[in-house]
Amino acid sequence: MAGSQPWIFVAIFAGAASVGVAAWLYRWVHRQDAGSPEAQEVASWIREGATTYLRRLYLALTLVAIGLGVIIAIVFSFDIEHLGTGAVHLDPLRGGGMALAFVAGGICSAIAGYMGMSVAVAANVRSATAAGESINRAFKVAFYAGSVMGLAVVGLAVIGMSTIYLITGDPEIVLGFSFGASTLALLAKAGGGIYTKTADIAADLVGKIEVGIPEDDPRNPAVVADNVGDNVGDVAGMGADIFDSYVASTVAVMLLGVSIFAGDAALQTKYTTFPLILCTLGIVASLIGIQFVRVGENGKPGQALNRGTIVTCMIFAVLATAIVLLGGYNLGVLWATLAGLVTGVVVGFTSDYFTSSDHHPVVETARVSGSGAAINIITGFSYGLISIVPSIIGIALATLLSYYLTERSGMSGIYGVGISAVGMLAVSGMIVSSDAYGPIVDNARGIAEMAGMSQKVIDTADVLDAAGNTAKAITKGFAISAAALTVLALFAAYAEVIGARGVELSISLRNPMVVVGAFLGAMTPPLFSALTMLSVTDNAFKMIQEIRRQFHEHPGILAGTEKPDYAACVDLAAQGALASLVIPAFLAVVFPVLVGFILGPEALGGFLGGSIFTGVVFALLMSNAGGLWDNAKKFIESGEFGGPRSDAHKASVVGDTVGDPFKDTAGPSINTLITVMSLVSSLFAPIIAAFHLF
Amino acid sequence: MDVHLYLSVIPEALIASMLTPEEFGVYYAVGATKKARGQAIFFEIAPDFRHDFFRIEEGIRRCVPHEDGSPKRSIYISVYRVLECIPLDVIQRLYLVTQDGRVLGLESSEECPEDAGGLHLYQEIAPVHPLVVSTLGPREFYDLIVKSPTSLLSLPAICFVELRLGELAENPGRGAIRDLPYSNIGHLRQCLVDLRTKTVHAKMVNRIQPASFPYRTIKSGIFVGNEERLLYFPLPSQEELRAKHYRWWRSVNL
Repeated sequence: MAGSQPWIFVAIFAGAASVGVAAWLYRWVHRQDAGSPEAQEVASWIREGATTYLRRLYLALTLVAIGLGVIIAIVFSFDIEHLGTGAVHLDPLRGGGMALAFVAGGICSAIAGYMGMSVAVAANVRSATAAGESINRAFKVAFYAGSVMGLAVVGLAVIGMSTIYLITGDPEIVLGFSFGASTLALLAKAGGGIYTKTADIAADLVGKIEVGIPEDDPRNPAVVADNVGDNVGDVAGMGADIFDSYVASTVAVMLLGVSIFAGDAALQTKYTTFPLILCTLGIVASLIGIQFVRVGENGKPGQALNRGTIVTCMIFAVLATAIVLLGGYNLGVLWATLAGLVTGVVVGFTSDYFTSSDHHPVVETARVSGSGAAINIITGFSYGLISIVPSIIGIALATLLSYYLTERSGMSGIYGVGISAVGMLAVSGMIVSSDAYGPIVDNARGIAEMAGMSQKVIDTADVLDAAGNTAKAITKGFAISAAALTVLALFAAYAEVIGARGVELSISLRNPMVVVGAFLGAMTPPLFSALTMLSVTDNAFKMIQEIRRQFHEHPGILAGTEKPDYAACVDLAAQGALASLVIPAFLAVVFPVLVGFILGPEALGGFLGGSIFTGVVFALLMSNAGGLWDNAKKFIESGEFGGPRSDAHKASVVGDTVGDPFKDTAGPSINTLITVMSLVSSLFAPIIAAFHLF
Repeated sequence: MDVHLYLSVIPEALIASMLTPEEFGVYYAVGATKKARGQAIFFEIAPDFRHDFFRIEEGIRRCVPHEDGSPKRSIYISVYRVLECIPLDVIQRLYLVTQDGRVLGLESSEECPEDAGGLHLYQEIAPVHPLVVSTLGPREFYDLIVKSPTSLLSLPAICFVELRLGELAENPGRGAIRDLPYSNIGHLRQCLVDLRTKTVHAKMVNRIQPASFPYRTIKSGIFVGNEERLLYFPLPSQEELRAKHYRWWRSVNL
């Protein structure tokens, strides 16, 4: 490792710089004007709700981390190199290291999520206040706050991975770090998704449909929970999700580097640390790219965000090319990196095509809504299915290009596939910054409305909010395609780890164990989706009862003479979300291990394959269809096809409500699910290789 | 506490109340502990108004504060043939209340809007509430229904609103719908086309149309008339509504 050690220090330094800039921006945002006492009071309700939920979530996760950490420490204290030989060799240092890495992964992800969310709940009111001054100022506050999340995610991830690798020199320990991050991400993303849609659906169904009060109306008892949900779901949840993919893709390539270049220590070190170098370059590119995200007085926020993403990608491409050429790396890894980068951007913008009201799918879904909810749902669902095509083609092209271009350059193709995932995720600093901007401006608009701020503030917040929705759609497509390539690399890493233990893996459909495993794996993402969506409906039902109760028992709420009990809805959403996580978490962490131990490593290989394929398809379908239904409704509300209260609008509201848990609960959680299942399989692969029933 | 008299047109009723018009609007739309809710339109009428048809004095006598001192919200004096028995000179302001209790008060105007031509869509609010299309402008439509009917159908008084038709007013067959929220738009188009091809001035689109309608579809304002005169309550422009009555405007555009 000696030859590449300077690069690891550079990576740690870059990570520290990223976190340092995030901390500086954090303080900058807090120094901005927090606005009127009314606005601050509304913001404080959201802040308290979000903080309370995260505190509860992290407390639950601490218990999970302790439990899993102890199991990992015990299991990995057995010297796995000699498992199955009859002799028992103990290596408590390795077990303890693995457990510590697991906990560190969870902690780093939690810190990034907490930083992002705490700045988001401070920035929302400040952005709303700045909107009274200028759009430029309001945009800057929101985007800088989003950048805190983006830079904290990549900075903490790189610091964590590099430090563990520097200390242990063992990528399998870094895998423990990744597993910790992914476990937290799954629970944060799924929990946040359940929370946010519970509140959103309940607030809309009673507030808008039954009572007829507008969005973000302070008379709605669920309005604070709805705004809290934006933060815990879209800021903390999405941050944890990208953190998880970012780390998992890097670790997968590090593992592949170790096994593929096992015969040459120098090459092994060089290509094991290469993904960390790409992450470092991505941080540098993001730090520069963020400077290009600016709007003038009449500028368009959406264009500014897109410009930042494109500039960051270009800078990253130039830096990666320079490093590969100057560092004497095989050219194949450059092609793979660029293939991943381009695919990420293309898939992201493809998601925008299917979910933007500027394009045919949304307009057509809105148009047919006049024929009723059923037609709206069938059309939106069909376009959701079609939206899978370009993304899958993109992923397939990235896989083929990175594989064969790397092979042609004389390297292992599967290493190239892993590198393409890292290339795609290397610019996560910028991507997450744009994504986290969305819920901040959404909240800013809500606060402006609830606090009765001026017309100018609301108009400005509307413009900022529209750009946030587009950024959100792009990030979802990006996150899903990145997760697809990551799990392909993890799958290869799993095969390598199993192969290194002398078990020849034959993932053939003529092997019944593989077929059974593939079926079980294919079943898991749909089952996970169903469980999380049923949690949403169950919790939303309870919250609807609570909102109705408040309106019924306190008529002064609607008359505007009495304040609703916001805390009751916040509590219901938080309790419901946390209680709903148990079975999905079991499914993600325990089910693959059970399949491995009972049916063997080949069945587990089939299981991972099956879960990857249905996982990617379901994630794309649900995210895009949900976004499409949402924007079809907004398109009608903008005054097309009959406008508000028309038959088309009523149908589109049904479609949007169906799509809510699709796009914000199940869809975006699936990529984390398949990553966690791949990670837990890779982690336990050596033990499964030694011990399995069949 | 003063007792106010209100002429509600959704549903048609004469009500005594100790609430101010704004308070009454909120109460009337969102209810108290009862489940009576929904869009409301009512006029405030002169408190000294009396008429043999109504037992107003008795209603006012019953309109006393509750035991806890809170004002009496409503005493229904009559729910039958109310509009036709109230002279227009006692009508003061008109209040449009949204489903969630946002209240907008409108003053009457002497000037009726000019008929800019094209076809018209009218929602009759009281005493009956069909949806009607017509070739006539608002004043001519009122004449046709109340003052000088040319058919068997006539009313002693009417409250109605002209709703926007957008491009359909000039081009009923092919004009774009845009933000017109009307149900059975194909049938509406056909009724408008029929006006062009048949020698009738008005045609019923829907005979069991609910009296409530989206306020955002109001073209110019609300009209109320009897055999003596016609009163017009113009709605401010969208810009003025948004700037000065944002809460009401937003609720209307939900």
